[in-house]
Amino acid sequence: MFNVSFQSSSRVLGVALSLAVGAGCSRQQTQTASTASSQPASAETAEAPIELKKMPAGKEFSGFLKDYSNLKPNPNLDGTALTFVSNDAQKNLHRYIAVIVDPVQVYLASDVDESKLPDKARGVGARYFHKALEGAVSSAFPIVSQPGPLVLRLRSAIVGVDVGGEVPAADKAAAADNALDRTVNIGKVAVEMELVDSQTGEQIASMVDRETLGSGAEIGAVNFSREEKWAAAREAFDGWARRVRDFLDSADELSPEDAKRADQSYRPYGDTVTK
Amino acid sequence: MKRALAIVPLILAGGICCSADEVSMFKAYVDTDLCARLMLGPVTSARIACSQQTHKDGSDPVLVQLSNNLVLDANKDNLIKNLVGQLADVSGQINVKNGSVKLQSVTPIKADAIPQGDPARKQLDVRMYRTTGSPQLYEKIRHELAMMPYISEFDFISFTMAGNDVILTGWTVRQTNRSDAQNIVKNIEGVGTIINNIEVLPLGSFDMQIRARTRAVLQQNLSMYFWGNGSDIKIVVKNGDVILLGNVIRQSDKDIANIRVNSIPGVFHVFNLLRVQSGEEKKG
Repeated sequence: MFNVSFQSSSRVLGVALSLAVGAGCSRQQTQTASTASSQPASAETAEAPIELKKMPAGKEFSGFLKDYSNLKPNPNLDGTALTFVSNDAQKNLHRYIAVIVDPVQVYLASDVDESKLPDKARGVGARYFHKALEGAVSSAFPIVSQPGPLVLRLRSAIVGVDVGGEVPAADKAAAADNALDRTVNIGKVAVEMELVDSQTGEQIASMVDRETLGSGAEIGAVNFSREEKWAAAREAFDGWARRVRDFLDSADELSPEDAKRADQSYRPYGDTVTK
Repeated sequence: MKRALAIVPLILAGGICCSADEVSMFKAYVDTDLCARLMLGPVTSARIACSQQTHKDGSDPVLVQLSNNLVLDANKDNLIKNLVGQLADVSGQINVKNGSVKLQSVTPIKADAIPQGDPARKQLDVRMYRTTGSPQLYEKIRHELAMMPYISEFDFISFTMAGNDVILTGWTVRQTNRSDAQNIVKNIEGVGTIINNIEVLPLGSFDMQIRARTRAVLQQNLSMYFWGNGSDIKIVVKNGDVILLGNVIRQSDKDIANIRVNSIPGVFHVFNLLRVQSGEEKKG
Protein backbone atom coordinates (compact mmCIF):
# COMPACT_ATOMS: atom_id res chain seq x y z
CA MET A 1 0.00 0.00 0.00
CA PHE A 2 2.70 2.42 0.95
CA ASN A 3 4.68 1.65 -2.15
CA VAL A 4 1.81 2.39 -4.50
CA SER A 5 1.09 5.61 -2.70
CA PHE A 6 4.68 6.65 -2.76
CA GLN A 7 5.27 6.00 -6.44
CA SER A 8 2.20 7.93 -7.30
CA SER A 9 3.20 10.86 -5.18
CA SER A 10 6.55 10.95 -6.88
CA ARG A 11 4.89 11.32 -10.25
CA VAL A 12 2.72 14.09 -8.96
CA LEU A 13 5.77 15.71 -7.50
CA GLY A 14 7.42 15.63 -10.86
CA VAL A 15 4.44 17.32 -12.48
CA ALA A 16 4.24 19.90 -9.77
CA LEU A 17 7.91 20.65 -10.04
CA SER A 18 7.53 21.13 -13.77
CA LEU A 19 4.69 23.55 -13.19
CA ALA A 20 6.68 25.46 -10.66
CA VAL A 21 9.84 26.04 -12.63
CA GLY A 22 9.94 29.65 -11.64
CA ALA A 23 10.20 28.77 -8.02
CA GLY A 24 13.71 27.43 -8.42
CA CYS A 25 15.61 30.55 -7.51
CA SER A 26 13.66 31.37 -4.43
CA ARG A 27 14.01 27.79 -3.23
CA GLN A 28 17.76 28.00 -3.39
CA GLN A 29 17.80 31.23 -1.42
CA THR A 30 15.42 29.91 1.14
CA GLN A 31 17.32 26.75 1.70
CA THR A 32 20.36 28.77 2.65
CA ALA A 33 18.31 30.81 5.01
CA SER A 34 16.47 27.92 6.52
CA THR A 35 19.56 25.90 7.23
CA ALA A 36 20.94 28.92 9.05
CA SER A 37 17.94 29.00 11.32
CA SER A 38 18.18 27.09 14.53
CA GLN A 39 16.23 26.13 17.59
CA PRO A 40 15.78 29.38 19.44
CA ALA A 41 17.05 29.38 22.95
CA SER A 42 15.00 30.39 25.92
CA ALA A 43 14.60 34.14 26.20
CA GLU A 44 17.34 35.79 28.17
CA THR A 45 15.04 38.55 29.16
CA ALA A 46 14.56 37.26 32.69
CA GLU A 47 17.36 39.47 33.97
CA ALA A 48 15.88 42.62 32.44
CA PRO A 49 15.00 45.37 34.94
CA ILE A 50 11.59 44.85 36.46
CA GLU A 51 9.29 47.82 36.19
CA LEU A 52 7.05 48.12 39.21
CA LYS A 53 3.47 49.17 38.77
CA LYS A 54 0.77 49.74 41.27
CA MET A 55 -2.61 48.12 41.56
CA PRO A 56 -5.20 50.84 40.94
CA ALA A 57 -7.10 51.62 44.14
CA GLY A 58 -10.60 50.20 44.36
CA LYS A 59 -10.27 48.15 41.17
CA GLU A 60 -10.86 44.44 40.86
CA PHE A 61 -8.07 43.87 38.35
CA SER A 62 -4.68 45.43 37.72
CA GLY A 63 -5.27 46.44 34.11
CA PHE A 64 -2.38 44.25 32.96
CA LEU A 65 -4.48 42.05 30.69
CA LYS A 66 -5.69 43.33 27.38
CA ASP A 67 -9.24 42.26 28.13
CA TYR A 68 -11.01 41.08 31.27
CA SER A 69 -14.56 41.05 29.93
CA ASN A 70 -14.57 37.45 28.77
CA LEU A 71 -13.21 35.85 31.96
CA LYS A 72 -15.36 33.18 33.56
CA PRO A 73 -14.94 30.79 36.51
CA ASN A 74 -13.16 27.64 35.37
CA PRO A 75 -14.64 24.44 36.82
CA ASN A 76 -11.55 22.49 35.80
CA LEU A 77 -9.40 24.42 38.24
CA ASP A 78 -9.87 24.35 41.98
CA GLY A 79 -10.19 27.63 43.77
CA THR A 80 -10.84 31.03 42.38
CA ALA A 81 -9.48 31.04 38.86
CA LEU A 82 -11.17 33.02 36.13
CA THR A 83 -10.21 32.01 32.63
CA PHE A 84 -10.89 32.64 28.98
CA VAL A 85 -10.05 30.47 25.98
CA SER A 86 -10.72 31.64 22.47
CA ASN A 87 -13.01 29.38 20.48
CA ASP A 88 -12.24 31.08 17.20
CA ALA A 89 -11.47 28.33 14.69
CA GLN A 90 -8.48 30.27 13.36
CA LYS A 91 -7.22 31.73 16.63
CA ASN A 92 -7.19 29.24 19.47
CA LEU A 93 -4.57 27.44 21.50
CA HIS A 94 -4.53 24.46 19.15
CA ARG A 95 -3.29 26.69 16.37
CA TYR A 96 0.04 27.37 18.11
CA ILE A 97 3.05 25.20 18.82
CA ALA A 98 5.56 27.43 20.61
CA VAL A 99 5.67 30.27 23.10
CA ILE A 100 7.72 33.27 24.14
CA VAL A 101 7.63 33.76 27.90
CA ASP A 102 7.84 37.46 28.68
CA PRO A 103 9.43 38.75 31.89
CA VAL A 104 6.92 38.78 34.72
CA GLN A 105 5.52 42.17 35.68
CA VAL A 106 5.01 43.18 39.30
CA TYR A 107 2.04 45.14 40.57
CA LEU A 108 2.33 46.40 44.12
CA ALA A 109 -0.73 46.53 46.31
CA SER A 110 -2.43 49.90 45.99
CA ASP A 111 -1.60 51.03 49.53
CA VAL A 112 2.07 50.08 49.51
CA ASP A 113 4.65 52.70 50.32
CA GLU A 114 6.97 52.06 47.39
CA SER A 115 9.87 53.81 49.06
CA LYS A 116 10.02 51.01 51.62
CA LEU A 117 10.67 48.41 48.98
CA PRO A 118 14.42 47.85 48.75
CA ASP A 119 15.85 48.34 45.26
CA LYS A 120 17.23 44.85 45.10
CA ALA A 121 13.83 43.43 46.02
CA ARG A 122 12.16 44.70 42.87
CA GLY A 123 12.74 41.64 40.74
CA VAL A 124 12.66 39.12 43.56
CA GLY A 125 9.82 36.74 42.96
CA ALA A 126 9.23 37.91 39.41
CA ARG A 127 12.40 36.27 38.17
CA TYR A 128 11.73 33.08 40.07
CA PHE A 129 8.17 32.98 38.80
CA HIS A 130 9.41 33.53 35.24
CA LYS A 131 11.59 30.45 35.49
CA ALA A 132 8.79 28.46 37.12
CA LEU A 133 6.46 29.43 34.30
CA GLU A 134 9.01 28.42 31.68
CA GLY A 135 9.41 25.07 33.37
CA ALA A 136 5.67 24.55 33.60
CA VAL A 137 4.71 25.43 30.04
CA SER A 138 7.73 24.36 28.01
CA SER A 139 6.66 20.76 27.65
CA ALA A 140 3.33 21.88 26.21
CA PHE A 141 4.69 24.76 24.16
CA PRO A 142 8.43 24.76 23.41
CA ILE A 143 9.97 28.10 24.30
CA VAL A 144 11.33 30.27 21.54
CA SER A 145 12.69 33.80 21.51
CA GLN A 146 11.33 35.24 18.27
CA PRO A 147 7.74 36.13 17.46
CA GLY A 148 6.28 34.56 14.37
CA PRO A 149 3.53 32.38 13.02
CA LEU A 150 2.36 29.60 15.35
CA VAL A 151 4.07 31.35 18.27
CA LEU A 152 2.26 32.59 21.35
CA ARG A 153 3.45 35.20 23.80
CA LEU A 154 2.88 34.47 27.47
CA ARG A 155 2.44 37.67 29.46
CA SER A 156 2.10 37.41 33.19
CA ALA A 157 2.03 39.57 36.28
CA ILE A 158 2.07 39.00 40.00
CA VAL A 159 -0.43 41.38 41.45
CA GLY A 160 -0.77 42.73 44.97
CA VAL A 161 2.82 42.46 46.18
CA ASP A 162 3.28 44.08 49.57
CA VAL A 163 6.21 45.21 51.67
CA GLY A 164 6.60 43.20 54.87
CA GLY A 165 8.52 43.72 58.07
CA GLU A 166 12.22 44.07 58.59
CA VAL A 167 14.28 41.00 57.96
CA PRO A 168 15.58 39.69 61.30
CA ALA A 169 19.29 40.16 61.87
CA ALA A 170 19.87 36.43 62.13
CA ASP A 171 18.27 35.85 58.73
CA LYS A 172 20.26 38.72 57.29
CA ALA A 173 23.45 37.18 58.53
CA ALA A 174 22.49 33.81 57.07
CA ALA A 175 21.71 35.29 53.67
CA ALA A 176 24.87 37.42 53.64
CA ASP A 177 24.87 39.94 50.77
CA ASN A 178 21.62 38.62 49.41
CA ALA A 179 19.49 39.65 52.37
CA LEU A 180 16.84 42.31 51.93
CA ASP A 181 16.24 45.02 54.55
CA ARG A 182 12.53 44.32 54.50
CA THR A 183 10.65 41.26 53.38
CA VAL A 184 8.47 41.13 50.30
CA ASN A 185 5.05 39.91 51.33
CA ILE A 186 3.16 37.81 48.80
CA GLY A 187 0.34 36.81 51.14
CA LYS A 188 -2.34 38.47 49.04
CA VAL A 189 -0.78 38.06 45.63
CA ALA A 190 -2.82 36.96 42.63
CA VAL A 191 -1.54 36.03 39.20
CA GLU A 192 -2.79 37.47 35.96
CA MET A 193 -1.60 35.95 32.71
CA GLU A 194 -2.57 35.83 29.09
CA LEU A 195 -1.45 34.14 25.93
CA VAL A 196 -1.54 36.40 22.93
CA ASP A 197 -0.65 35.91 19.30
CA SER A 198 3.02 36.90 19.09
CA GLN A 199 2.46 38.75 15.83
CA THR A 200 -0.89 40.46 16.27
CA GLY A 201 -1.18 40.67 20.06
CA GLU A 202 -4.66 39.20 19.89
CA GLN A 203 -5.70 37.52 23.13
CA ILE A 204 -5.99 33.75 22.76
CA ALA A 205 -6.38 32.72 26.40
CA SER A 206 -6.21 34.42 29.77
CA MET A 207 -6.36 33.63 33.44
CA VAL A 208 -6.71 35.52 36.68
CA ASP A 209 -5.78 33.24 39.55
CA ARG A 210 -6.62 34.47 43.01
CA GLU A 211 -5.75 31.23 44.71
CA THR A 212 -4.06 32.34 47.93
CA LEU A 213 -1.04 30.14 47.56
CA GLY A 214 1.15 32.88 48.96
CA SER A 215 -0.69 33.11 52.24
CA GLY A 216 1.86 33.59 55.01
CA ALA A 217 4.76 33.57 52.57
CA GLU A 218 7.47 36.19 52.58
CA ILE A 219 10.72 36.70 50.74
CA GLY A 220 13.67 38.02 52.68
CA ALA A 221 16.60 37.47 50.38
CA VAL A 222 17.40 38.01 46.73
CA ASN A 223 18.19 34.33 46.32
CA PHE A 224 15.13 33.32 48.28
CA SER A 225 14.73 30.10 46.42
CA ARG A 226 17.80 28.71 48.13
CA GLU A 227 16.76 29.71 51.63
CA GLU A 228 14.67 27.24 53.55
CA LYS A 229 13.15 30.13 55.43
CA TRP A 230 11.40 31.32 52.28
CA ALA A 231 10.29 27.90 51.05
CA ALA A 232 6.64 28.87 51.30
CA ALA A 233 7.17 31.64 48.76
CA ARG A 234 8.95 29.28 46.40
CA GLU A 235 6.15 26.76 46.71
CA ALA A 236 3.58 29.46 46.05
CA PHE A 237 5.22 30.52 42.79
CA ASP A 238 5.66 26.89 41.74
CA GLY A 239 2.02 26.32 42.55
CA TRP A 240 0.81 29.24 40.46
CA ALA A 241 2.96 28.07 37.57
CA ARG A 242 1.49 24.57 37.86
CA ARG A 243 -2.00 26.02 37.74
CA VAL A 244 -1.15 27.87 34.56
CA ARG A 245 -0.09 24.52 33.11
CA ASP A 246 -3.26 22.85 34.41
CA PHE A 247 -5.23 25.55 32.66
CA LEU A 248 -3.39 24.92 29.38
CA ASP A 249 -3.92 21.17 29.72
CA SER A 250 -7.63 21.60 30.25
CA ALA A 251 -7.84 23.99 27.30
CA ASP A 252 -5.96 21.50 25.11
CA GLU A 253 -8.43 18.69 25.70
CA LEU A 254 -10.27 17.64 22.59
CA SER A 255 -14.04 17.64 22.47
CA PRO A 256 -15.55 14.12 22.36
CA GLU A 257 -16.28 14.64 18.65
CA ASP A 258 -12.73 15.73 17.90
CA ALA A 259 -11.29 12.88 19.97
CA LYS A 260 -13.36 10.38 18.02
CA ARG A 261 -12.25 11.84 14.72
CA ALA A 262 -8.61 11.90 15.84
CA ASP A 263 -8.84 8.23 16.75
CA GLN A 264 -10.42 7.30 13.43
CA SER A 265 -7.98 9.39 11.47
CA TYR A 266 -4.78 8.06 13.00
CA ARG A 267 -3.25 5.32 10.89
CA PRO A 268 0.43 4.64 11.45
CA TYR A 269 2.46 4.14 8.31
CA GLY A 270 4.03 1.03 9.71
CA ASP A 271 0.70 -0.79 9.85
CA THR A 272 0.98 -2.53 6.53
CA VAL A 273 3.61 -4.89 7.83
CA THR A 274 1.64 -6.09 10.80
CA LYS A 275 -1.72 -6.75 9.24
CA MET B 1 17.05 16.36 4.16
CA LYS B 2 19.56 18.33 6.08
CA ARG B 3 20.06 17.46 9.67
CA ALA B 4 20.34 20.55 11.76
CA LEU B 5 19.22 19.99 15.30
CA ALA B 6 17.68 16.62 15.06
CA ILE B 7 17.48 14.79 18.28
CA VAL B 8 17.47 11.31 17.11
CA PRO B 9 17.13 7.87 18.49
CA LEU B 10 17.52 6.53 21.92
CA ILE B 11 17.53 2.92 22.72
CA LEU B 12 15.33 2.09 25.65
CA ALA B 13 16.02 -1.52 25.63
CA GLY B 14 17.88 -3.90 23.45
CA GLY B 15 21.32 -4.92 22.71
CA ILE B 16 23.24 -1.72 22.19
CA CYS B 17 25.99 -1.13 24.60
CA CYS B 18 28.81 0.72 23.04
CA SER B 19 30.52 3.78 24.37
CA ALA B 20 31.18 6.67 22.02
CA ASP B 21 34.84 5.77 21.53
CA GLU B 22 34.33 2.10 20.81
CA VAL B 23 34.40 1.02 17.19
CA SER B 24 31.50 -1.27 16.34
CA MET B 25 31.03 -3.56 13.40
CA PHE B 26 27.45 -3.99 12.38
CA LYS B 27 25.20 -4.75 9.47
CA ALA B 28 23.01 -1.98 8.23
CA TYR B 29 20.46 -1.07 5.63
CA VAL B 30 21.26 2.19 3.86
CA ASP B 31 17.98 4.07 3.96
CA THR B 32 16.81 7.65 3.68
CA ASP B 33 15.85 9.81 6.60
CA LEU B 34 12.28 9.88 5.35
CA CYS B 35 11.70 6.17 4.75
CA ALA B 36 13.58 5.18 7.87
CA ARG B 37 11.08 7.10 9.99
CA LEU B 38 8.04 5.73 8.20
CA MET B 39 8.81 2.20 7.14
CA LEU B 40 10.95 0.64 9.80
CA GLY B 41 10.55 -3.07 9.64
CA PRO B 42 11.57 -5.61 7.09
CA VAL B 43 13.60 -4.63 4.09
CA THR B 44 11.04 -5.29 1.39
CA SER B 45 11.00 -4.27 -2.25
CA ALA B 46 8.56 -1.50 -1.27
CA ARG B 47 10.98 -0.25 1.32
CA ILE B 48 13.85 -0.30 -1.14
CA ALA B 49 11.78 1.60 -3.70
CA CYS B 50 10.90 4.16 -1.06
CA SER B 51 14.55 4.59 -0.10
CA GLN B 52 15.79 5.00 -3.64
CA GLN B 53 13.04 7.34 -4.77
CA THR B 54 13.16 9.63 -1.75
CA HIS B 55 16.94 9.79 -1.95
CA LYS B 56 16.58 10.87 -5.56
CA ASP B 57 14.12 13.51 -4.40
CA GLY B 58 16.53 14.88 -1.81
CA SER B 59 16.11 12.94 1.40
CA ASP B 60 19.43 12.38 3.17
CA PRO B 61 20.88 8.89 3.53
CA VAL B 62 20.96 7.28 6.96
CA LEU B 63 21.98 3.90 8.30
CA VAL B 64 19.54 1.55 9.97
CA GLN B 65 21.27 -0.96 12.17
CA LEU B 66 19.64 -4.23 11.22
CA SER B 67 19.87 -5.94 14.58
CA ASN B 68 17.67 -3.41 16.34
CA ASN B 69 16.28 -0.90 13.83
CA LEU B 70 18.20 2.02 15.31
CA VAL B 71 18.40 4.93 12.87
CA LEU B 72 21.86 6.46 12.68
CA ASP B 73 22.91 9.69 11.04
CA ALA B 74 26.32 9.20 9.45
CA ASN B 75 29.04 11.80 9.67
CA LYS B 76 30.12 11.13 6.08
CA ASP B 77 27.17 11.04 3.71
CA ASN B 78 29.46 10.45 0.76
CA LEU B 79 30.36 6.99 2.08
CA ILE B 80 26.75 5.84 1.96
CA LYS B 81 24.93 8.03 -0.53
CA ASN B 82 25.59 5.65 -3.42
CA LEU B 83 24.45 2.65 -1.42
CA VAL B 84 20.89 3.75 -0.64
CA GLY B 85 18.61 0.72 -0.87
CA GLN B 86 21.44 -1.72 -0.19
CA LEU B 87 22.81 -3.65 2.76
CA ALA B 88 26.25 -2.93 4.11
CA ASP B 89 28.86 -4.00 6.60
CA VAL B 90 29.68 -0.92 8.62
CA SER B 91 32.36 -0.07 11.10
CA GLY B 92 32.34 3.09 13.14
CA GLN B 93 31.78 4.72 16.48
CA ILE B 94 28.11 4.70 17.40
CA ASN B 95 26.76 7.47 19.59
CA VAL B 96 23.50 6.04 20.83
CA LYS B 97 22.52 9.18 22.68
CA ASN B 98 22.31 11.37 19.61
CA GLY B 99 21.69 8.60 17.11
CA SER B 100 24.79 9.10 15.03
CA VAL B 101 27.74 7.12 13.79
CA LYS B 102 31.25 8.24 13.01
CA LEU B 103 32.02 6.06 10.04
CA GLN B 104 35.26 4.22 9.43
CA SER B 105 34.26 1.93 6.62
CA VAL B 106 31.20 0.88 4.67
CA THR B 107 31.17 -2.17 2.41
CA PRO B 108 28.11 -3.21 0.44
CA ILE B 109 27.00 -6.79 0.99
CA LYS B 110 24.36 -9.12 -0.41
CA ALA B 111 21.52 -10.40 1.73
CA ASP B 112 22.80 -13.96 1.56
CA ALA B 113 26.03 -12.85 3.18
CA ILE B 114 24.10 -12.52 6.43
CA PRO B 115 23.98 -15.98 7.98
CA GLN B 116 20.78 -17.60 9.19
CA GLY B 117 20.37 -16.97 12.89
CA ASP B 118 22.15 -13.65 12.78
CA PRO B 119 19.97 -11.01 14.53
CA ALA B 120 20.35 -8.83 11.44
CA ARG B 121 18.73 -11.53 9.36
CA LYS B 122 15.28 -11.00 10.81
CA GLN B 123 15.00 -7.60 9.13
CA LEU B 124 15.13 -9.37 5.82
CA ASP B 125 12.31 -11.74 6.67
CA VAL B 126 8.88 -10.28 6.06
CA ARG B 127 7.26 -13.25 7.81
CA MET B 128 8.74 -12.05 11.06
CA TYR B 129 6.46 -9.03 10.88
CA ARG B 130 3.44 -10.60 9.30
CA THR B 131 2.99 -13.57 11.53
CA THR B 132 3.91 -12.23 14.91
CA GLY B 133 2.47 -9.45 16.99
CA SER B 134 -1.00 -9.29 18.39
CA PRO B 135 -3.63 -7.27 16.50
CA GLN B 136 -5.17 -6.36 19.86
CA LEU B 137 -1.89 -5.03 21.14
CA TYR B 138 -1.38 -3.13 17.91
CA GLU B 139 -4.80 -1.52 18.24
CA LYS B 140 -4.19 -0.60 21.85
CA ILE B 141 -0.93 1.12 20.97
CA ARG B 142 -2.51 2.86 18.00
CA HIS B 143 -5.39 4.15 20.10
CA GLU B 144 -3.18 5.38 22.93
CA LEU B 145 -0.92 7.25 20.53
CA ALA B 146 -3.93 8.73 18.75
CA MET B 147 -5.17 10.17 22.02
CA MET B 148 -1.92 11.81 23.05
CA PRO B 149 -2.32 15.43 24.13
CA TYR B 150 -0.51 18.28 22.40
CA ILE B 151 -0.40 16.57 19.03
CA SER B 152 -0.82 19.11 16.27
CA GLU B 153 -1.03 18.99 12.49
CA PHE B 154 2.73 19.35 12.58
CA ASP B 155 3.42 16.11 14.43
CA PHE B 156 3.26 12.62 13.04
CA ILE B 157 4.10 9.71 15.28
CA SER B 158 4.06 6.27 13.76
CA PHE B 159 5.08 2.84 14.92
CA THR B 160 5.93 -0.61 13.72
CA MET B 161 5.73 -3.83 15.66
CA ALA B 162 8.08 -6.76 15.47
CA GLY B 163 6.46 -9.38 17.64
CA ASN B 164 5.67 -7.52 20.82
CA ASP B 165 8.55 -5.12 20.37
CA VAL B 166 7.66 -1.62 19.25
CA ILE B 167 9.62 0.75 17.08
CA LEU B 168 8.41 4.32 17.41
CA THR B 169 9.03 6.54 14.43
CA GLY B 170 7.97 9.86 12.97
CA TRP B 171 8.49 13.51 13.73
CA THR B 172 7.31 15.95 16.35
CA VAL B 173 7.73 19.63 17.12
CA ARG B 174 7.58 19.00 20.86
CA GLN B 175 10.43 17.27 22.64
CA THR B 176 8.05 15.92 25.25
CA ASN B 177 5.88 14.17 22.66
CA ARG B 178 8.85 11.98 21.97
CA SER B 179 9.25 10.89 25.57
CA ASP B 180 5.51 10.83 26.22
CA ALA B 181 4.93 8.45 23.33
CA GLN B 182 7.61 6.20 24.69
CA ASN B 183 6.14 6.27 28.20
CA ILE B 184 2.62 5.63 26.96
CA VAL B 185 3.69 2.60 24.97
CA LYS B 186 5.91 1.36 27.77
CA ASN B 187 2.92 1.25 30.10
CA ILE B 188 0.82 -0.89 27.78
CA GLU B 189 0.71 -4.45 29.00
CA GLY B 190 2.34 -6.90 26.66
CA VAL B 191 4.75 -4.49 25.01
CA GLY B 192 8.31 -5.77 24.89
CA THR B 193 11.25 -3.58 24.09
CA ILE B 194 10.83 -0.12 22.61
CA ILE B 195 13.12 1.66 20.20
CA ASN B 196 12.39 5.35 19.93
CA ASN B 197 13.32 6.81 16.55
CA ILE B 198 10.98 9.79 16.79
CA GLU B 199 12.79 12.87 15.60
CA VAL B 200 12.26 16.25 17.25
CA LEU B 201 12.04 18.94 14.59
CA PRO B 202 13.77 22.30 14.80
CA LEU B 203 11.51 25.34 15.32
CA GLY B 204 13.48 27.78 13.18
CA SER B 205 11.52 30.74 11.93
CA PHE B 206 11.65 29.70 8.25
CA ASP B 207 10.17 26.33 9.01
CA MET B 208 7.55 27.96 11.21
CA GLN B 209 6.50 30.17 8.33
CA ILE B 210 6.34 27.19 6.00
CA ARG B 211 4.23 25.30 8.54
CA ALA B 212 1.77 28.14 8.84
CA ARG B 213 1.56 28.71 5.10
CA THR B 214 1.19 25.02 4.35
CA ARG B 215 -1.63 24.66 6.82
CA ALA B 216 -3.29 27.76 5.43
CA VAL B 217 -3.22 26.63 1.79
CA LEU B 218 -4.34 23.11 2.61
CA GLN B 219 -7.11 24.35 4.82
CA GLN B 220 -8.21 26.71 2.10
CA ASN B 221 -8.17 24.10 -0.66
CA LEU B 222 -8.94 20.89 1.21
CA SER B 223 -11.07 22.14 4.06
CA MET B 224 -12.94 18.85 4.46
CA TYR B 225 -9.84 17.29 5.99
CA PHE B 226 -9.60 19.92 8.72
CA TRP B 227 -12.04 19.54 11.56
CA GLY B 228 -12.46 21.18 14.94
CA ASN B 229 -8.99 21.23 16.38
CA GLY B 230 -7.41 18.55 14.25
CA SER B 231 -6.85 17.37 10.71
CA ASP B 232 -6.56 14.22 8.64
CA ILE B 233 -3.51 15.69 6.91
CA LYS B 234 -0.24 15.97 8.78
CA ILE B 235 2.40 18.47 7.79
CA VAL B 236 6.00 17.66 8.72
CA VAL B 237 8.42 20.48 7.97
CA LYS B 238 12.15 20.07 8.32
CA ASN B 239 14.63 22.60 7.01
CA GLY B 240 12.41 23.66 4.14
CA ASP B 241 11.27 20.17 3.18
CA VAL B 242 7.60 19.35 3.59
CA ILE B 243 6.32 15.83 4.12
CA LEU B 244 2.59 15.39 3.72
CA LEU B 245 1.12 12.45 5.59
CA GLY B 246 -2.28 11.12 6.48
CA ASN B 247 -5.34 10.16 4.53
CA VAL B 248 -7.40 11.75 1.78
CA ILE B 249 -10.43 10.36 0.00
CA ARG B 250 -9.55 11.09 -3.61
CA GLN B 251 -6.44 11.05 -5.72
CA SER B 252 -7.35 14.51 -6.95
CA ASP B 253 -7.13 15.80 -3.36
CA LYS B 254 -3.66 14.37 -3.08
CA ASP B 255 -2.70 16.06 -6.33
CA ILE B 256 -4.15 19.37 -5.21
CA ALA B 257 -2.17 19.19 -1.98
CA ASN B 258 0.98 18.55 -3.94
CA ILE B 259 0.54 21.43 -6.35
CA ARG B 260 -0.52 23.92 -3.69
CA VAL B 261 2.28 23.10 -1.28
CA ASN B 262 4.86 23.17 -4.04
CA SER B 263 3.81 26.73 -4.79
CA ILE B 264 4.55 27.96 -1.28
CA PRO B 265 7.58 30.27 -1.25
CA GLY B 266 10.50 28.80 0.64
CA VAL B 267 9.48 25.17 0.33
CA PHE B 268 12.45 23.18 -0.87
CA HIS B 269 11.01 19.71 -1.47
CA VAL B 270 7.55 18.26 -1.11
CA PHE B 271 7.30 14.59 -0.24
CA ASN B 272 3.66 13.79 -0.81
CA LEU B 273 2.99 10.62 1.15
CA LEU B 274 -0.72 11.15 1.57
CA ARG B 275 -2.64 7.90 1.34
CA VAL B 276 -5.75 7.72 -0.81
CA GLN B 277 -8.39 5.84 1.13
CA SER B 278 -10.70 4.96 -1.74
CA GLY B 279 -8.05 2.98 -3.51
CA GLU B 280 -8.40 5.07 -6.65
CA GLU B 281 -4.76 5.97 -6.58
CA LYS B 282 -3.23 6.51 -10.00
CA LYS B 283 -2.00 3.45 -11.78
CA GLY B 284 0.86 3.12 -14.20
